[in-house]
Amino acid sequence: MNTDSHSSADTEIVNQVVSGDVNAFERLLKRYQAHVVRIVKKHIPFDKVEEVAQDVFVRTYQSLPTFKGDDGFKQWLSTITIRTCYDFWRKHYRYREIPLSSLSEKHQVWLEEATSNSSSQSFHERDSQKEAREILDWALDKLSPEDRMVLELVYLEGYSIKEAANLLGWSTVNVKVRSFRARKKLHKLIKEMS
Amino acid sequence: MSPNKHEHEALRAILRRAYQERENVEVGDQWQEEVMRRIRELGEIEARPSSLVMFEQLVWRLAPVTCLLILGLTLLLSSFDFISGDDVIQLLMNSTEEITLNQFFGV
Repeated sequence: MNTDSHSSADTEIVNQVVSGDVNAFERLLKRYQAHVVRIVKKHIPFDKVEEVAQDVFVRTYQSLPTFKGDDGFKQWLSTITIRTCYDFWRKHYRYREIPLSSLSEKHQVWLEEATSNSSSQSFHERDSQKEAREILDWALDKLSPEDRMVLELVYLEGYSIKEAANLLGWSTVNVKVRSFRARKKLHKLIKEMS
Repeated sequence: MSPNKHEHEALRAILRRAYQERENVEVGDQWQEEVMRRIRELGEIEARPSSLVMFEQLVWRLAPVTCLLILGLTLLLSSFDFISGDDVIQLLMNSTEEITLNQFFGV
C-alpha cells in the first residue's frame, strides 16, 4: 500500500472513530504502535516506555476531532508522540527529588579516552556502549526538559531545525537558539567531567 | 578541522551511536488491550469542539470586524471638533469678567 492510499485509509478510520465507532481506533493502534514505540524509546527511560506510549494513543484519540490530515496521520501522530515525551520530562523534572548521581571514576577514564584527539580512531573500535549510554543519560539529566528534547532531536537524531520545530510546536528561532545553547552545555558538562 | 571541533565531532559520533542503540522494547497484545480499555473508558469523542475552542474560533472570526469598527470610530471621532479641559479653563481665565456679567445680566 503506498503512502497516499495509507493516508486516505487513515483519514477514513479517523472519520469512523470521530463519528462514534470507538473500536475502529484499534486499527490505527495496530498500524502505528511500532512507530510510536520506536520514537518513545529514544526519549524516555526503558521502564516508562510502555506507559508513555499508552498516553500517546490516549492523547491521540482525544485529539482526533482536531486532525485535519494536511501532513498525514503518521506525521501528526509523531508530533503528538514528541510532545508527550516532552511533557513526561517536564512532569519528571517538577517532581524530581532524588539528587542526581555523579559518575564513577570508570566513566571519567572512559570520557578521557573518548575525547582524546589522538586516540579517537582506535577508541571507536573498543568503546563500550554501556558507558556511553550512562554518560549520555547523566548529562541529559542535568539539562532542562526543553534543552534535552532539542538536543535529542537535532544533535543526536539529526533532525533539521525546521523538522524539530514542527515536532515540538516551537518557532525555528527558538529551536535554533536552544539547540546551540544545549550543545554548548553538553560539551561543558562532559569537559568538566573528563 | 580544528582539534576542538574534531574532538566534538568524535564525541558526537559516539554519543549518537549510544543513543541509537537503546534497548529494544516490544509491546505485546496485553499492552494493546490496555490502551483500548482506556480508550473505551473515555467513550465516544465529541466531534464538536469544546466551548473554549469555540470561543477562540469566535474571537478570531470577529477580530477583522472589531478592527474595522475601531478604525471607523477613530476616524469618526477625529472628525469632531474637540475642546480639551485645559482649553475651557484657559477660556474662563481669560474672560472671567465677561462671563460673570453675562451670568449676572442673564445675557
